[in-house]
Amino acid sequence: MSTTLITPVLTKGIGELNLREIAVYREQGGYEQLRRAVVELSPKDVADICNGSNLRGRGGAGFPTGRKWSFLPKDATTRYMVCNCDEAEPGTFKDRMLLEETPHQIIEGILIGAYAIGCDHAYIYIRGEFKRGYEIMRDAVAQARAAGFLGENIFGTGKKLEFTIHRGAGAYICGEETGLLNSLEGKRGEPRLKPPFPAIKGLYGEPTVVNNVETLAYLPSIMKNGPEWFAKVGPERSPGYKVVSISGHVAKPGNYEVPLGTTIRQLIYDCAGGLRPGRSFMGVQPGGGSSACLFEEHLDVSYDFDSVTKAGSMLGSGAMVVFDDTTDFVKASYALIRFFSHESCGQCTPCREGGYWIQKTLERILAGGGVDSDVDVIKSAAHQLTGLNLCALGDSIEPFLASVIARYEDQFRAYIKPGAAAVGVS
Amino acid sequence: MSTQTDATGVHPAAILGSAAGDALAGWSPFARRPGDPFDDLHAQLLPEIERIIAQYEEKRSGLIPLAHLFQDHEGYVSPNALAAIAYHVGETLASVESTISFYTLLFRKPVGKYVIQICRNLSCMLNGADEIMAYAREGLGIAHFETTADGLISYEEVECLAACDRAPCAQVNLEFVYDLTRESVDAMIVAIRAGTYEVKPLVQTAKPGRTWKVEADTGRKSAGALNQSNPNNAGGIGDTSGVQMFDLIVGKVQYESRSNERLVRETQLRPEISGNGHH
Repeated sequence: MSTTLITPVLTKGIGELNLREIAVYREQGGYEQLRRAVVELSPKDVADICNGSNLRGRGGAGFPTGRKWSFLPKDATTRYMVCNCDEAEPGTFKDRMLLEETPHQIIEGILIGAYAIGCDHAYIYIRGEFKRGYEIMRDAVAQARAAGFLGENIFGTGKKLEFTIHRGAGAYICGEETGLLNSLEGKRGEPRLKPPFPAIKGLYGEPTVVNNVETLAYLPSIMKNGPEWFAKVGPERSPGYKVVSISGHVAKPGNYEVPLGTTIRQLIYDCAGGLRPGRSFMGVQPGGGSSACLFEEHLDVSYDFDSVTKAGSMLGSGAMVVFDDTTDFVKASYALIRFFSHESCGQCTPCREGGYWIQKTLERILAGGGVDSDVDVIKSAAHQLTGLNLCALGDSIEPFLASVIARYEDQFRAYIKPGAAAVGVS
Repeated sequence: MSTQTDATGVHPAAILGSAAGDALAGWSPFARRPGDPFDDLHAQLLPEIERIIAQYEEKRSGLIPLAHLFQDHEGYVSPNALAAIAYHVGETLASVESTISFYTLLFRKPVGKYVIQICRNLSCMLNGADEIMAYAREGLGIAHFETTADGLISYEEVECLAACDRAPCAQVNLEFVYDLTRESVDAMIVAIRAGTYEVKPLVQTAKPGRTWKVEADTGRKSAGALNQSNPNNAGGIGDTSGVQMFDLIVGKVQYESRSNERLVRETQLRPEISGNGHH
C-alpha cells in the first residue's frame, strides 16, 4: 500500500492525540491562527488569504469559498456565519469524524471565517443524530469560551464573537443551506426560493454565509501555511486536500485525506485496500448518494471537482461507495430512491410525487410484479422531474438511477417476466 | 420571562377577576388543569428554557432545542410540551406542531425506553443490512415503527447515519452501534431486556402504543386514490386512479401511456367533461 497519498492535514493527530482537549489542540499550534487573524490582520487580509488558496466548498457543490463570502453586501451591518454540520449524504462520514475527533479545529475555522466576513455571531448546525458529537462540541465551545477565544472580548481586543451550537432533529434536507436556515429559525426545514441567495437574505433575513465543516476546518491550516501551500496542491482550479469517505465493497473502508487530483483507482486500491478477495469491480459512486455511478473506464479519472464532473458525475461531498460483482443495482437504486423519497420535504410536486412513484415502481419490480415498460417509465420519470424543484434534492434522484440503468439494464430486466403488462390498464 | 402570563402577556386571572386569581395562582397558561405535574417539570426547566432562548437572536430559533429538552424529560414531545414551546417561542400551537412533525427524531407519541434505529441506506445495504433488519424484526417480534407490547423497545429503519465505514450500523438511543452481526443483535436485545445494556434507557412518562407515528406518516396515499387500487396506483404523477376515475365518468378510454401529457390531452379533447366535476 502506498502511504504517500494520504496526507493528514485536518486529520493530523486523529487516533493519536485527544484533540478534544483544548490544551492538546493548542500544543499543536491550535488557535494561534485565530489569534493572528483577530489581533494582527484585518478581515480583508483573511478573506484574501482564503481567496488566494482557491479553497472550494467541501459540502457538495464545490463553490469557491472566497467568492461565496464576496457576495455579502458591503454595507450590511449584520452578517452571519453558519457552519453546516448536517452531514447526511449517503456514504459521507467525514464531518462526523471531524466533529467527534477535532472539534477545536472546527471552532477555530468557523471563528476565522466569521472574522473574515465581519460577523459577530456564528452558528454551527449539527445533525440531530450526532448527539455524541453535539456533546463533544458543547464541551469544546465551553473550553474555548473559558480561554477567551469567543464571547465578549476575544483575545482582549474588545471584539465580540458569539457562538451558538444548534442541534437539528432528523431531516436530510436541512443540509441544503436554505433548508438549514429555516430549521435554524425554528421552522420546517423547507428550502427557500432562490434568489435571493443567503448572502443577500439568509438567517433572520440578514446576509449570511453557510459553509461546510470541512471547508471551514481547512482555514487554520491555510492561514498557517499560506494560501500558496494549498493552491499548489492538485489541479489549479480545484486545489488542496480533501477528506474522502470510502465505503461499500472495499477491504478497508474509512476516511482518507488526500490531495485532490489523486485518481479514483488510487483511492480505491491504494487507500481503501481494494476490493475484497476474489471480487471484481462493477462501479463506484464518487460523490455521495446524489452522484452518478462511474465504471471501469473511469478508474483513472483524477479525483477533483472538475474532472469528476467532466466524467459525467460529481465530486459532491467526497463520499465514494464502491460496488463489486455481488451488487444488485436494482436494490442499490431502491435504497437511494427510497432515501430521496423519504427525505423530500414535500414542497415541490415533481420531487415529492416523482420520487415516491419511482420508489413504488422499483418496489414492484423487486417484488417480481414489474412490467416491460417499468424500466422506461422510471427512467422517464426521473428525467422529467429533474430541474423543476426549489433545491437539488429532486434533481439528485436521476443521476445514479440513469447511470446504472444505462450500464446494467439487464439486472433490472432480469426481475421482470417477459411480456408482463400492467394490471388494470387495458 | 414569567409563567404568569399568556402569549399576549396577560395572565388569565387578570381577565377572570381576582376571585379566580387565587384558584389560578401558579397555573401556567399552557397547562391543561391546575396542579398538572407538567407545571413542576416546567418550573424546574425554566432556567434552562430561558438560557436556550437567549442563545438566539430570535426566540423562535429555540423551538427545536426546546422540543429536545422536553423530550429528554418526558420521552416524547407531549401535548403539554407543545403548548409550553408555543408559549415560550411566541408562536401558535399549530405552527409548533407543524414544525415538530417535520423532524423524525422528535416523537409526538410515547416510545420505548430503547429506540433501536438500524441504517437501511446504501453502504449498510451493500454490507448485509437487509438481512440484519429482518433478523432484528424477528428477534423483537415487531415491525418498522413499532414498539414492543411491554413498552421497552421501539424499532425503526432509518437513513444513512454517517458510519458507513462500520456498516451495517445502528443507533440505540442515538449512541452508535457498529459492525452489526446476528450475534451482536441478539446480544443487544438480550442485554436490553435484562437491563444490563450499556446505553442508558430513555425517560418514559407514558405507556407507548403500537406505533409512535401518526397514521399519515406510516403510509402515504395520494388524494383521489380509488378503493380498487392496483399496483399501478403508486400515487402522484404515476397514479392511475385519476385515469380510472376518468374512465368511470366518460367511459372506457384507451391509454398506452400513463403520462401526464396524455391525461391532459385527453381532458382537453372533452372540455364539456373537464368543465364540471360530474356528468
